[in-house]
Amino acid sequence: MSRIIVVTSGKGGVGKTTCSANIGMALAQRGHKVAVIDADFGLRNLDLLLGLENRIVYTAVEVLAGQCRLEQALVKDKRQPNLVLLPAAQNRTKDAVTPDQMRKLVNALTKVFNYILIDSPAGIEMGFQNAIAAAKEALIVTTPEIAAVRDADRVVGLLEANDVKKLHLIINRIKPAMVQQDKMMSVSDVQEILAIPLIGVIPDDERVIVSTNKGEPLVLSQTASTAALAFQNIVRRLDGEKVPFIDLTAPNDDLISRIRRFFGSRD
Amino acid sequence: MNSDIPVSDTPVPDTPAPDTPVSDTPAPNTAAPDTPSEAAISASDTPVPDALTPDTPAPDSPAPDPSELAAPNAPTDTIGSHPTPQPPQPEVTVPQVRLKGEDGRLLLLLPPESDLPSAMTWTELWLQLKNRLQAGERFWQLNSPVHLMARDRLLDARQLQDISEALAEAQLQLKRVYTSRRQTAVAAATVGLSVEQQSAITHLSQTEAAGQVLAEPLYIQTTVRSGIEIRHPGTVVVLGDVNPGSSIVADGDVLVWGALRGVVQAGASGNSRCMIMALRLDPTQIRIADFVARAPENPHSQYLPEVAYVASGGVRIAKASEFSKERLSP
Ligand SMILES: Nc1ncnc2c1ncn2[C@@H]1O[C@H](COP(=O)(O)OP(=O)(O)OP(=O)(O)O)[C@@H](O)[C@H]1O
Ligand SMILES: [Mg+2]
Repeated sequence: MSRIIVVTSGKGGVGKTTCSANIGMALAQRGHKVAVIDADFGLRNLDLLLGLENRIVYTAVEVLAGQCRLEQALVKDKRQPNLVLLPAAQNRTKDAVTPDQMRKLVNALTKVFNYILIDSPAGIEMGFQNAIAAAKEALIVTTPEIAAVRDADRVVGLLEANDVKKLHLIINRIKPAMVQQDKMMSVSDVQEILAIPLIGVIPDDERVIVSTNKGEPLVLSQTASTAALAFQNIVRRLDGEKVPFIDLTAPNDDLISRIRRFFGSRD
Repeated sequence: MNSDIPVSDTPVPDTPAPDTPVSDTPAPNTAAPDTPSEAAISASDTPVPDALTPDTPAPDSPAPDPSELAAPNAPTDTIGSHPTPQPPQPEVTVPQVRLKGEDGRLLLLLPPESDLPSAMTWTELWLQLKNRLQAGERFWQLNSPVHLMARDRLLDARQLQDISEALAEAQLQLKRVYTSRRQTAVAAATVGLSVEQQSAITHLSQTEAAGQVLAEPLYIQTTVRSGIEIRHPGTVVVLGDVNPGSSIVADGDVLVWGALRGVVQAGASGNSRCMIMALRLDPTQIRIADFVARAPENPHSQYLPEVAYVASGGVRIAKASEFSKERLSP
Protein backbone atom coordinates (compact mmCIF):
# COMPACT_ATOMS: atom_id res chain seq x y z
CA MET A 1 0.00 0.00 0.00
CA SER A 2 1.42 3.37 -0.94
CA ARG A 3 1.41 6.15 1.59
CA ILE A 4 -0.28 9.34 0.50
CA ILE A 5 0.84 12.25 2.65
CA VAL A 6 -0.16 15.89 2.37
CA VAL A 7 2.23 18.54 3.69
CA THR A 8 0.13 21.41 4.91
CA SER A 9 0.06 24.29 7.39
CA GLY A 10 -2.69 26.86 7.08
CA LYS A 11 -0.31 29.81 7.37
CA GLY A 12 1.90 30.63 4.41
CA GLY A 13 5.67 30.66 4.32
CA VAL A 14 6.26 28.31 7.24
CA GLY A 15 8.23 25.76 5.22
CA LYS A 16 5.79 23.35 3.55
CA THR A 17 7.61 23.33 0.25
CA THR A 18 11.01 23.11 1.95
CA CYS A 19 9.78 20.10 3.92
CA SER A 20 8.21 18.47 0.87
CA ALA A 21 11.43 18.79 -1.13
CA ASN A 22 13.74 17.55 1.61
CA ILE A 23 11.51 14.77 2.91
CA GLY A 24 10.75 13.62 -0.64
CA MET A 25 14.43 13.54 -1.47
CA ALA A 26 15.41 11.81 1.78
CA LEU A 27 12.72 9.16 1.26
CA ALA A 28 14.09 8.52 -2.22
CA GLN A 29 17.62 8.29 -0.82
CA ARG A 30 16.40 5.51 1.45
CA GLY A 31 15.32 3.56 -1.60
CA HIS A 32 11.61 4.35 -1.73
CA LYS A 33 9.96 5.22 -5.00
CA VAL A 34 8.65 8.71 -4.39
CA ALA A 35 6.38 11.13 -6.25
CA VAL A 36 6.07 14.69 -4.99
CA ILE A 37 3.05 16.61 -6.23
CA ASP A 38 2.97 20.37 -6.34
CA ALA A 39 -0.63 21.18 -5.43
CA ASP A 40 0.05 24.90 -5.27
CA PHE A 41 -1.60 25.67 -8.59
CA GLY A 42 -0.88 29.17 -9.78
CA LEU A 43 2.02 29.69 -7.39
CA ARG A 44 4.12 26.61 -7.89
CA ASN A 45 7.62 26.51 -6.53
CA LEU A 46 8.38 22.96 -5.50
CA ASP A 47 10.13 22.61 -8.87
CA LEU A 48 12.44 25.48 -7.96
CA LEU A 49 13.42 24.00 -4.62
CA LEU A 50 14.15 20.69 -6.31
CA GLY A 51 16.04 22.42 -9.11
CA LEU A 52 13.78 20.87 -11.73
CA GLU A 53 12.13 23.93 -13.21
CA ASN A 54 13.88 23.76 -16.56
CA ARG A 55 12.83 20.17 -17.13
CA ILE A 56 9.08 20.73 -16.94
CA VAL A 57 7.26 20.08 -20.19
CA TYR A 58 3.74 19.16 -19.10
CA THR A 59 1.88 19.71 -15.85
CA ALA A 60 -0.98 18.08 -13.97
CA VAL A 61 -3.42 20.32 -15.82
CA GLU A 62 -2.43 18.92 -19.23
CA VAL A 63 -2.76 15.41 -17.85
CA LEU A 64 -6.27 16.14 -16.64
CA ALA A 65 -7.19 17.77 -19.94
CA GLY A 66 -6.04 14.61 -21.73
CA GLN A 67 -3.34 16.52 -23.59
CA CYS A 68 -0.62 14.18 -22.39
CA ARG A 69 -0.19 10.96 -20.47
CA LEU A 70 0.61 11.04 -16.77
CA GLU A 71 4.08 9.52 -17.34
CA GLN A 72 4.93 12.36 -19.69
CA ALA A 73 4.27 14.98 -17.05
CA LEU A 74 6.38 13.33 -14.35
CA VAL A 75 9.74 15.08 -14.10
CA LYS A 76 12.54 12.70 -13.17
CA ASP A 77 15.29 13.86 -10.89
CA LYS A 78 18.69 13.37 -12.49
CA ARG A 79 20.46 13.18 -9.12
CA GLN A 80 18.03 10.75 -7.57
CA PRO A 81 16.29 8.28 -9.91
CA ASN A 82 13.77 7.25 -7.24
CA LEU A 83 12.21 10.70 -7.19
CA VAL A 84 9.72 12.29 -9.60
CA LEU A 85 7.85 15.58 -9.49
CA LEU A 86 4.35 16.15 -10.79
CA PRO A 87 4.37 19.89 -11.42
CA ALA A 88 1.46 22.28 -11.08
CA ALA A 89 0.51 24.70 -13.79
CA GLN A 90 1.91 28.14 -13.32
CA ASN A 91 -0.53 30.09 -15.42
CA ARG A 92 -3.85 28.62 -14.33
CA THR A 93 -6.01 29.56 -11.44
CA LYS A 94 -6.45 27.28 -8.49
CA ASP A 95 -9.89 26.34 -9.79
CA ALA A 96 -8.36 24.50 -12.72
CA VAL A 97 -8.49 21.29 -10.69
CA THR A 98 -11.18 19.64 -8.57
CA PRO A 99 -10.81 17.30 -5.57
CA ASP A 100 -12.14 14.42 -7.66
CA GLN A 101 -9.53 14.97 -10.36
CA MET A 102 -6.85 15.13 -7.70
CA ARG A 103 -7.98 11.77 -6.32
CA LYS A 104 -7.78 10.29 -9.82
CA LEU A 105 -4.24 11.56 -10.38
CA VAL A 106 -2.99 10.32 -7.04
CA ASN A 107 -4.72 7.02 -7.49
CA ALA A 108 -2.89 6.48 -10.77
CA LEU A 109 0.43 7.27 -9.08
CA THR A 110 -0.11 4.72 -6.32
CA LYS A 111 0.38 1.97 -8.91
CA VAL A 112 4.06 2.89 -9.22
CA PHE A 113 5.16 4.85 -6.15
CA ASN A 114 5.45 3.89 -2.47
CA TYR A 115 5.29 7.42 -1.19
CA ILE A 116 3.24 10.25 -2.62
CA LEU A 117 3.90 13.61 -1.02
CA ILE A 118 1.51 16.46 -1.78
CA ASP A 119 2.76 20.01 -1.21
CA SER A 120 -0.31 21.99 -0.22
CA PRO A 121 -0.80 25.71 -0.78
CA ALA A 122 -1.36 28.00 2.21
CA GLY A 123 -4.88 28.74 3.36
CA ILE A 124 -7.96 26.58 3.66
CA GLU A 125 -9.63 27.36 0.35
CA MET A 126 -10.07 25.28 -2.77
CA GLY A 127 -6.35 24.68 -3.29
CA PHE A 128 -6.10 23.22 0.18
CA GLN A 129 -9.21 21.11 -0.41
CA ASN A 130 -7.62 19.72 -3.56
CA ALA A 131 -4.38 18.97 -1.78
CA ILE A 132 -6.01 17.01 1.02
CA ALA A 133 -8.63 15.25 -1.11
CA ALA A 134 -6.55 12.16 -1.81
CA ALA A 135 -4.42 12.17 1.32
CA LYS A 136 -4.50 9.43 3.93
CA GLU A 137 -1.96 11.12 6.19
CA ALA A 138 -0.75 14.63 6.84
CA LEU A 139 2.39 16.35 7.99
CA ILE A 140 1.37 19.61 9.65
CA VAL A 141 4.14 22.17 9.41
CA THR A 142 4.23 25.08 11.80
CA THR A 143 6.74 27.57 13.10
CA PRO A 144 6.80 28.33 16.83
CA GLU A 145 4.66 31.44 16.46
CA ILE A 146 1.18 32.03 17.81
CA ALA A 147 -0.36 32.82 14.43
CA ALA A 148 1.17 29.80 12.72
CA VAL A 149 0.10 27.48 15.53
CA ARG A 150 -3.42 28.91 15.47
CA ASP A 151 -3.73 28.20 11.75
CA ALA A 152 -2.18 24.76 12.12
CA ASP A 153 -4.80 24.00 14.76
CA ARG A 154 -7.53 25.04 12.38
CA VAL A 155 -6.10 22.82 9.66
CA VAL A 156 -5.90 19.86 12.05
CA GLY A 157 -9.62 20.29 12.75
CA LEU A 158 -10.40 20.41 9.02
CA LEU A 159 -8.27 17.35 8.29
CA GLU A 160 -9.98 15.39 11.04
CA ALA A 161 -13.39 16.37 9.69
CA ASN A 162 -12.27 15.22 6.25
CA ASP A 163 -11.26 11.84 7.61
CA VAL A 164 -7.52 12.38 7.32
CA LYS A 165 -6.73 11.02 10.74
CA LYS A 166 -3.09 10.03 10.76
CA LEU A 167 -1.50 13.38 11.54
CA HIS A 168 2.03 14.32 12.50
CA LEU A 169 3.55 17.61 13.51
CA ILE A 170 6.72 19.25 12.19
CA ILE A 171 7.95 22.31 14.04
CA ASN A 172 10.16 24.32 11.70
CA ARG A 173 12.53 27.22 12.25
CA ILE A 174 13.03 26.79 15.95
CA LYS A 175 15.72 29.01 17.46
CA PRO A 176 16.99 27.27 20.57
CA ALA A 177 18.66 30.37 21.96
CA MET A 178 15.41 32.34 21.77
CA VAL A 179 13.46 29.51 23.36
CA GLN A 180 15.94 29.43 26.21
CA GLN A 181 15.45 33.14 26.78
CA ASP A 182 11.69 32.57 26.77
CA LYS A 183 11.33 34.73 23.65
CA MET A 184 9.94 31.97 21.46
CA MET A 185 7.37 29.24 21.96
CA SER A 186 9.04 25.99 22.85
CA VAL A 187 8.35 22.63 21.26
CA SER A 188 6.23 21.62 24.23
CA ASP A 189 4.26 24.89 24.12
CA VAL A 190 3.31 24.11 20.53
CA GLN A 191 2.55 20.48 21.26
CA GLU A 192 0.36 21.36 24.17
CA ILE A 193 -2.01 23.25 21.91
CA LEU A 194 -1.98 21.03 18.87
CA ALA A 195 -2.01 17.71 20.70
CA ILE A 196 -0.89 15.60 17.74
CA PRO A 197 2.24 13.43 17.69
CA LEU A 198 5.51 15.20 16.90
CA ILE A 199 7.59 13.79 14.05
CA GLY A 200 10.30 16.41 13.67
CA VAL A 201 11.84 19.63 14.88
CA ILE A 202 13.91 21.59 12.37
CA PRO A 203 16.19 24.38 13.52
CA ASP A 204 16.23 27.74 11.82
CA ASP A 205 19.31 27.58 9.61
CA GLU A 206 20.41 29.89 6.82
CA ARG A 207 21.76 26.92 4.91
CA VAL A 208 18.11 26.03 4.28
CA ILE A 209 17.69 29.31 2.42
CA VAL A 210 20.95 28.85 0.53
CA SER A 211 19.89 25.38 -0.58
CA THR A 212 16.51 26.73 -1.65
CA ASN A 213 18.19 29.25 -3.89
CA LYS A 214 20.49 26.64 -5.40
CA GLY A 215 17.62 24.27 -6.12
CA GLU A 216 19.39 21.58 -4.17
CA PRO A 217 17.59 20.18 -1.12
CA LEU A 218 19.77 20.29 1.98
CA VAL A 219 19.66 16.52 2.41
CA LEU A 220 21.73 16.21 -0.81
CA SER A 221 24.56 18.29 0.61
CA GLN A 222 27.87 16.62 1.41
CA THR A 223 28.47 18.65 4.56
CA ALA A 224 26.42 17.57 7.54
CA SER A 225 23.97 19.99 9.11
CA THR A 226 21.50 19.68 11.95
CA ALA A 227 18.64 20.73 9.68
CA ALA A 228 19.45 18.01 7.12
CA LEU A 229 19.73 15.48 9.92
CA ALA A 230 16.35 16.60 11.26
CA PHE A 231 14.79 15.92 7.82
CA GLN A 232 16.45 12.51 7.64
CA ASN A 233 15.16 11.67 11.10
CA ILE A 234 11.63 12.59 10.03
CA VAL A 235 11.92 10.14 7.18
CA ARG A 236 13.19 7.37 9.45
CA ARG A 237 10.26 8.01 11.79
CA LEU A 238 7.87 7.89 8.83
CA ASP A 239 9.36 4.49 8.09
CA GLY A 240 8.47 3.40 11.58
CA GLU A 241 11.88 3.65 13.26
CA LYS A 242 12.16 5.03 16.76
CA VAL A 243 14.67 7.86 16.53
CA PRO A 244 15.41 10.08 19.53
CA PHE A 245 14.91 13.79 18.99
CA ILE A 246 18.04 15.89 18.56
CA ASP A 247 18.87 18.06 21.53
CA LEU A 248 18.91 21.43 19.81
CA THR A 249 20.00 23.31 22.90
CA ALA A 250 23.53 21.93 22.69
CA PRO A 251 26.15 24.09 20.97
CA ASN A 252 26.14 23.39 17.26
CA ASP A 253 29.59 22.09 16.25
CA ASP A 254 29.71 19.95 19.32
CA LEU A 255 26.29 18.66 18.38
CA ILE A 256 27.27 17.33 14.98
CA SER A 257 30.15 15.40 16.43
CA ARG A 258 27.92 14.01 19.14
CA ILE A 259 25.43 12.87 16.53
CA ARG A 260 28.20 11.22 14.55
CA ARG A 261 29.28 9.39 17.65
CA PHE A 262 25.71 8.46 18.38
CA PHE A 263 25.28 6.90 14.96
CA GLY A 264 28.67 5.29 15.06
CA SER A 265 27.92 3.54 18.28
CA ARG A 266 24.59 2.33 17.04
CA ASP A 267 24.92 1.24 13.44
CA MET B 1 -12.97 45.50 13.17
CA ASN B 2 -15.69 43.02 13.81
CA SER B 3 -18.86 44.83 14.68
CA ASP B 4 -19.81 42.10 17.11
CA ILE B 5 -17.07 43.05 19.48
CA PRO B 6 -18.49 45.66 21.77
CA VAL B 7 -16.64 48.80 20.96
CA SER B 8 -17.08 52.42 21.80
CA ASP B 9 -15.17 55.60 21.45
CA THR B 10 -16.01 56.70 24.94
CA PRO B 11 -12.82 57.89 26.57
CA VAL B 12 -11.81 55.78 29.50
CA PRO B 13 -12.43 57.48 32.82
CA ASP B 14 -9.45 57.94 35.03
CA THR B 15 -10.44 55.23 37.42
CA PRO B 16 -7.64 53.60 39.36
CA ALA B 17 -6.99 50.05 38.33
CA PRO B 18 -8.95 47.68 40.52
CA ASP B 19 -6.87 45.86 43.06
CA THR B 20 -9.16 42.89 43.07
CA PRO B 21 -7.82 40.68 40.34
CA VAL B 22 -11.12 40.33 38.56
CA SER B 23 -13.03 42.42 36.13
CA ASP B 24 -16.06 44.49 36.88
CA THR B 25 -17.78 44.94 33.62
CA PRO B 26 -21.49 45.29 33.66
CA ALA B 27 -22.21 46.77 30.24
CA PRO B 28 -20.66 45.16 27.17
CA ASN B 29 -21.40 48.21 25.04
CA THR B 30 -18.67 50.42 26.39
CA ALA B 31 -15.45 48.73 25.50
CA ALA B 32 -12.28 50.62 24.90
CA PRO B 33 -10.19 48.04 23.10
CA ASP B 34 -7.17 50.23 22.77
CA THR B 35 -6.77 50.79 26.45
CA PRO B 36 -4.78 48.00 27.95
CA SER B 37 -5.58 47.18 31.52
CA GLU B 38 -4.18 44.91 34.13
CA ALA B 39 -5.10 41.31 34.58
CA ALA B 40 -8.79 40.88 34.17
CA ILE B 41 -8.95 37.22 34.95
CA SER B 42 -6.68 35.90 37.60
CA ALA B 43 -7.25 34.78 41.09
CA SER B 44 -5.70 31.55 42.09
CA ASP B 45 -2.41 33.23 42.88
CA THR B 46 -4.10 35.31 45.55
CA PRO B 47 -4.63 33.55 48.86
CA VAL B 48 -8.43 33.40 49.24
CA PRO B 49 -9.33 37.03 48.68
CA ASP B 50 -12.75 37.99 49.96
CA ALA B 51 -13.85 39.20 46.59
CA LEU B 52 -13.69 35.69 45.26
CA THR B 53 -16.46 34.30 47.37
CA PRO B 54 -19.74 34.55 45.54
CA ASP B 55 -21.85 35.37 48.57
CA THR B 56 -19.73 38.06 50.14
CA PRO B 57 -19.85 41.28 48.17
CA ALA B 58 -16.38 42.73 47.92
CA PRO B 59 -16.45 45.62 50.40
CA ASP B 60 -13.95 47.92 48.75
CA SER B 61 -14.28 46.76 45.22
CA PRO B 62 -13.60 49.72 42.94
CA ALA B 63 -16.03 51.35 40.61
CA PRO B 64 -16.58 49.41 37.42
CA ASP B 65 -13.80 50.19 35.07
CA PRO B 66 -14.83 50.18 31.44
CA SER B 67 -11.26 49.65 30.37
CA GLU B 68 -11.54 46.11 31.65
CA LEU B 69 -13.83 45.43 28.80
CA ALA B 70 -11.09 44.87 26.36
CA ALA B 71 -11.43 43.07 23.09
CA PRO B 72 -9.62 39.76 22.83
CA ASN B 73 -5.90 40.28 23.11
CA ALA B 74 -4.51 41.53 19.86
CA PRO B 75 -1.50 39.21 19.58
CA THR B 76 -3.66 36.10 19.63
CA ASP B 77 -5.99 37.47 16.99
CA THR B 78 -5.06 36.02 13.61
CA ILE B 79 -6.25 35.36 10.09
CA GLY B 80 -8.78 32.74 10.99
CA SER B 81 -12.14 34.45 11.12
CA HIS B 82 -12.34 33.86 14.79
CA PRO B 83 -15.89 33.95 15.88
CA THR B 84 -17.12 36.45 18.39
CA PRO B 85 -19.85 35.88 20.89
CA GLN B 86 -23.03 37.61 19.96
CA PRO B 87 -25.50 39.34 22.16
CA PRO B 88 -28.21 37.10 23.52
CA GLN B 89 -30.60 36.06 20.83
CA PRO B 90 -33.34 33.50 20.42
CA GLU B 91 -32.24 30.01 19.59
CA VAL B 92 -34.01 29.72 16.26
CA THR B 93 -31.69 32.15 14.53
CA VAL B 94 -28.52 30.34 15.60
CA PRO B 95 -27.31 28.37 12.61
CA GLN B 96 -26.05 25.18 14.14
CA VAL B 97 -26.39 21.50 13.40
CA ARG B 98 -27.93 19.78 16.38
CA LEU B 99 -28.44 16.23 17.53
CA LYS B 100 -31.16 15.74 20.01
CA GLY B 101 -32.52 12.65 21.73
CA GLU B 102 -36.27 12.22 21.72
CA ASP B 103 -38.38 9.12 22.49
CA GLY B 104 -35.62 6.61 21.79
CA ARG B 105 -34.68 8.15 18.50
CA LEU B 106 -32.20 10.81 17.58
CA LEU B 107 -33.23 13.95 15.77
CA LEU B 108 -30.66 15.50 13.48
CA LEU B 109 -31.75 19.10 13.11
CA LEU B 110 -30.35 21.12 10.26
CA PRO B 111 -30.54 24.89 10.47
CA PRO B 112 -33.32 26.25 8.24
CA GLU B 113 -32.18 27.62 4.93
CA SER B 114 -34.40 30.65 5.32
CA ASP B 115 -32.26 31.94 8.18
CA LEU B 116 -30.66 34.53 5.98
CA PRO B 117 -28.24 36.21 6.14
CA SER B 118 -26.63 33.67 8.43
CA ALA B 119 -27.61 30.63 6.36
CA MET B 120 -24.96 27.95 6.35
CA THR B 121 -23.42 26.62 3.20
CA TRP B 122 -23.35 22.89 2.66
CA THR B 123 -19.60 22.80 3.37
CA GLU B 124 -20.05 24.53 6.72
CA LEU B 125 -22.94 22.30 7.59
CA TRP B 126 -21.03 19.19 6.61
CA LEU B 127 -17.98 20.17 8.69
CA GLN B 128 -20.11 20.86 11.69
CA LEU B 129 -21.92 17.55 11.37
CA LYS B 130 -18.64 15.64 11.08
CA ASN B 131 -17.21 17.50 14.05
CA ARG B 132 -20.21 16.73 16.17
CA LEU B 133 -20.26 13.08 15.26
CA GLN B 134 -16.53 12.66 15.84
CA ALA B 135 -16.73 14.44 19.15
CA GLY B 136 -18.70 11.40 20.26
CA GLU B 137 -21.70 12.96 21.79
CA ARG B 138 -22.47 10.28 24.27
CA PHE B 139 -26.13 10.50 24.91
CA TRP B 140 -27.11 8.22 22.09
CA GLN B 141 -27.18 4.46 22.04
CA LEU B 142 -25.35 2.67 19.27
CA ASN B 143 -27.50 1.96 16.25
CA SER B 144 -30.12 4.45 17.35
CA PRO B 145 -32.43 5.40 14.52
CA VAL B 146 -31.87 8.94 13.32
CA HIS B 147 -34.56 11.18 11.94
CA LEU B 148 -33.19 13.96 9.79
CA MET B 149 -35.11 17.20 10.20
CA ALA B 150 -34.03 18.91 7.02
CA ARG B 151 -36.68 21.63 7.33
CA ASP B 152 -36.57 23.87 4.26
CA ARG B 153 -33.02 22.97 3.31
CA LEU B 154 -32.41 21.76 -0.22
CA LEU B 155 -30.43 18.55 -0.20
CA ASP B 156 -29.50 16.52 -3.24
CA ALA B 157 -29.13 12.77 -3.38
CA ARG B 158 -25.35 12.90 -2.98
CA GLN B 159 -25.60 15.08 0.12
CA LEU B 160 -28.20 12.81 1.68
CA GLN B 161 -25.99 9.85 0.91
CA ASP B 162 -23.04 11.62 2.56
CA ILE B 163 -25.08 12.34 5.68
CA SER B 164 -26.24 8.75 5.83
CA GLU B 165 -22.66 7.47 5.52
CA ALA B 166 -21.33 9.86 8.14
CA LEU B 167 -24.02 8.66 10.52
CA ALA B 168 -23.24 5.04 9.73
CA GLU B 169 -19.60 5.69 10.59
CA ALA B 170 -20.74 6.87 14.00
CA GLN B 171 -22.86 3.71 14.25
CA LEU B 172 -26.10 5.51 13.70
CA GLN B 173 -28.78 4.71 11.17
CA LEU B 174 -30.54 7.29 9.08
CA LYS B 175 -34.15 6.12 9.11
CA ARG B 176 -36.30 8.94 7.92
CA VAL B 177 -36.09 12.37 6.35
CA TYR B 178 -38.51 15.16 7.21
CA THR B 179 -38.53 18.01 4.75
CA SER B 180 -40.72 20.80 3.55
CA ARG B 181 -39.04 20.85 0.11
CA ARG B 182 -40.34 18.65 -2.66
CA GLN B 183 -36.89 18.36 -4.31
CA THR B 184 -35.31 17.12 -1.08
CA ALA B 185 -38.13 14.61 -0.67
CA VAL B 186 -37.58 13.30 -4.20
CA ALA B 187 -33.82 13.06 -3.67
CA ALA B 188 -34.33 11.15 -0.41
CA ALA B 189 -36.67 8.74 -2.11
CA THR B 190 -34.18 8.08 -4.91
CA VAL B 191 -31.49 7.04 -2.44
CA GLY B 192 -33.97 4.77 -0.73
CA LEU B 193 -34.71 6.73 2.42
CA SER B 194 -38.18 7.03 3.81
CA VAL B 195 -39.46 10.54 3.60
CA GLU B 196 -42.09 12.64 5.21
CA GLN B 197 -42.88 15.87 3.46
CA GLN B 198 -44.23 18.53 5.72
CA SER B 199 -45.73 21.86 4.96
CA ALA B 200 -43.65 24.81 6.02
CA ILE B 201 -46.38 25.57 8.54
CA THR B 202 -46.03 22.35 10.50
CA HIS B 203 -42.32 22.84 10.35
CA LEU B 204 -42.69 26.22 11.97
CA SER B 205 -44.94 24.96 14.72
CA GLN B 206 -42.34 22.29 15.40
CA THR B 207 -39.52 24.63 16.25
CA GLU B 208 -39.14 24.81 19.96
CA ALA B 209 -40.26 27.83 21.85
CA ALA B 210 -37.14 29.92 22.07
CA GLY B 211 -35.33 30.45 25.32
CA GLN B 212 -37.93 28.88 27.60
CA VAL B 213 -36.36 25.67 28.77
CA LEU B 214 -32.70 24.77 28.30
CA ALA B 215 -31.89 21.95 25.96
CA GLU B 216 -30.29 18.84 27.40
CA PRO B 217 -26.55 19.28 27.96
CA LEU B 218 -24.23 18.89 25.00
CA TYR B 219 -21.52 16.47 25.97
CA ILE B 220 -18.56 16.27 23.63
CA GLN B 221 -15.21 14.57 23.75
CA THR B 222 -12.84 16.40 21.45
CA THR B 223 -10.25 19.11 21.16
CA VAL B 224 -12.22 22.19 20.17
CA ARG B 225 -9.81 23.61 17.62
CA SER B 226 -9.26 27.06 16.16
CA GLY B 227 -12.09 28.13 13.85
CA ILE B 228 -14.69 25.88 15.49
CA GLU B 229 -17.71 27.53 17.02
CA ILE B 230 -20.05 25.58 19.24
CA ARG B 231 -23.40 27.06 20.11
CA HIS B 232 -25.88 25.27 22.26
CA PRO B 233 -29.12 26.34 23.94
CA GLY B 234 -28.11 24.57 27.14
CA THR B 235 -25.06 23.50 29.12
CA VAL B 236 -21.93 22.42 27.25
CA VAL B 237 -19.49 19.87 28.65
CA VAL B 238 -16.18 19.44 26.83
CA LEU B 239 -13.89 16.55 27.58
CA GLY B 240 -10.71 18.00 26.09
CA ASP B 241 -9.07 21.33 25.43
CA VAL B 242 -10.78 24.42 24.07
CA ASN B 243 -8.05 26.00 21.95
CA PRO B 244 -7.34 29.64 21.13
CA GLY B 245 -9.39 30.77 18.14
CA SER B 246 -12.37 28.59 19.01
CA SER B 247 -15.53 29.67 20.73
CA ILE B 248 -18.30 28.16 22.79
CA VAL B 249 -21.58 29.96 23.30
CA ALA B 250 -23.93 28.24 25.74
CA ASP B 251 -27.23 29.29 27.24
CA GLY B 252 -26.31 27.26 30.32
CA ASP B 253 -22.98 26.51 32.01
CA VAL B 254 -19.75 25.62 30.29
CA LEU B 255 -17.60 22.89 31.81
CA VAL B 256 -14.21 22.16 30.32
CA TRP B 257 -12.41 19.07 31.52
CA GLY B 258 -9.18 20.31 30.04
CA ALA B 259 -7.55 23.64 29.25
CA LEU B 260 -9.85 26.49 28.30
CA ARG B 261 -7.95 28.87 26.02
CA GLY B 262 -10.61 30.08 23.60
CA VAL B 263 -13.55 32.44 23.90
CA VAL B 264 -16.35 31.08 26.04
CA GLN B 265 -19.73 32.49 26.90
CA ALA B 266 -22.09 31.00 29.48
CA GLY B 267 -25.63 32.17 30.10
CA ALA B 268 -25.66 33.57 26.59
CA SER B 269 -29.36 34.32 26.71
CA GLY B 270 -28.88 36.50 29.76
CA ASN B 271 -28.69 34.23 32.80
CA SER B 272 -25.90 35.64 34.96
CA ARG B 273 -26.12 32.73 37.39
CA CYS B 274 -24.43 30.50 34.84
CA MET B 275 -20.83 29.50 35.40
CA ILE B 276 -17.72 28.55 33.52
CA MET B 277 -15.51 25.82 34.93
CA ALA B 278 -12.22 24.51 33.67
CA LEU B 279 -9.34 22.40 34.88
CA ARG B 280 -7.15 25.11 33.49
CA LEU B 281 -8.77 28.48 32.98
CA ASP B 282 -6.58 30.38 30.55
CA PRO B 283 -9.16 31.88 28.19
CA THR B 284 -8.83 34.53 25.53
CA GLN B 285 -12.05 35.95 26.88
CA ILE B 286 -14.97 34.76 28.94
CA ARG B 287 -18.49 36.09 29.13
CA ILE B 288 -21.26 35.27 31.51
CA ALA B 289 -24.56 36.82 30.47
CA ASP B 290 -23.50 40.40 29.71
CA PHE B 291 -20.35 40.40 31.81
CA VAL B 292 -17.04 40.18 30.07
CA ALA B 293 -13.58 39.37 31.32
CA ARG B 294 -10.46 38.79 29.36
CA ALA B 295 -7.18 37.03 29.86
CA PRO B 296 -4.61 38.51 32.20
CA GLU B 297 -1.49 40.02 30.68
CA ASN B 298 0.68 37.78 32.79
CA PRO B 299 -0.51 34.22 32.68
CA HIS B 300 -0.38 32.03 35.76
CA SER B 301 2.65 29.94 36.34
CA GLN B 302 0.54 27.17 37.75
CA TYR B 303 -3.05 26.25 37.10
CA LEU B 304 -5.66 24.74 39.35
CA PRO B 305 -9.26 23.98 38.46
CA GLU B 306 -11.22 27.21 38.62
CA VAL B 307 -14.76 28.50 38.44
CA ALA B 308 -15.83 31.78 36.90
CA TYR B 309 -19.13 33.26 38.04
CA VAL B 310 -20.81 36.60 38.40
CA ALA B 311 -20.95 38.31 41.77
CA SER B 312 -21.18 41.92 42.87
CA GLY B 313 -21.42 43.20 39.36
CA GLY B 314 -18.49 41.43 37.77
CA VAL B 315 -16.90 38.19 36.76
CA ARG B 316 -15.13 36.51 39.67
CA ILE B 317 -12.79 33.60 39.56
CA ALA B 318 -12.31 31.12 42.38
CA LYS B 319 -10.36 27.95 42.82
CA ALA B 320 -12.76 25.09 42.35
CA SER B 321 -11.90 23.64 45.75
CA GLU B 322 -12.68 26.88 47.58
CA PHE B 323 -15.67 27.66 45.45
CA SER B 324 -17.46 24.46 46.34
CA LYS B 325 -16.59 24.87 50.02
CA GLU B 326 -18.16 28.30 50.02
CA ARG B 327 -21.17 26.99 48.22
CA LEU B 328 -21.71 24.09 50.56
CA SER B 329 -21.19 25.94 53.83
CA PRO B 330 -24.28 27.74 55.14
N1 LIG C 1 14.44 25.77 8.84
C1 LIG C 1 14.55 26.89 8.11
N2 LIG C 1 15.55 27.77 8.36
C2 LIG C 1 15.68 28.90 7.63
N3 LIG C 1 14.85 29.24 6.63
C3 LIG C 1 13.83 28.44 6.33
C4 LIG C 1 13.63 27.22 7.05
N4 LIG C 1 12.53 26.61 6.53
C5 LIG C 1 12.08 27.41 5.54
N5 LIG C 1 12.85 28.50 5.40
C6 LIG C 1 12.67 29.59 4.43
O1 LIG C 1 11.38 30.12 4.56
C7 LIG C 1 10.87 30.51 3.30
C8 LIG C 1 9.52 29.89 3.05
O2 LIG C 1 9.67 28.48 2.93
P1 LIG C 1 8.72 27.61 2.02
O3 LIG C 1 8.59 28.18 0.65
O4 LIG C 1 9.14 26.20 2.16
O5 LIG C 1 7.34 27.83 2.80
P2 LIG C 1 5.88 27.40 2.31
O6 LIG C 1 5.15 27.04 3.57
O7 LIG C 1 5.94 26.39 1.26
O8 LIG C 1 5.33 28.77 1.73
P3 LIG C 1 3.98 28.98 0.88
O9 LIG C 1 2.88 29.01 1.89
O10 LIG C 1 4.17 30.30 0.22
O11 LIG C 1 3.86 27.84 -0.07
C9 LIG C 1 11.91 30.10 2.27
O12 LIG C 1 12.66 31.22 1.93
C10 LIG C 1 12.74 29.08 3.01
O13 LIG C 1 14.07 29.07 2.55
MG1 LIG D 1 5.02 26.39 -0.72
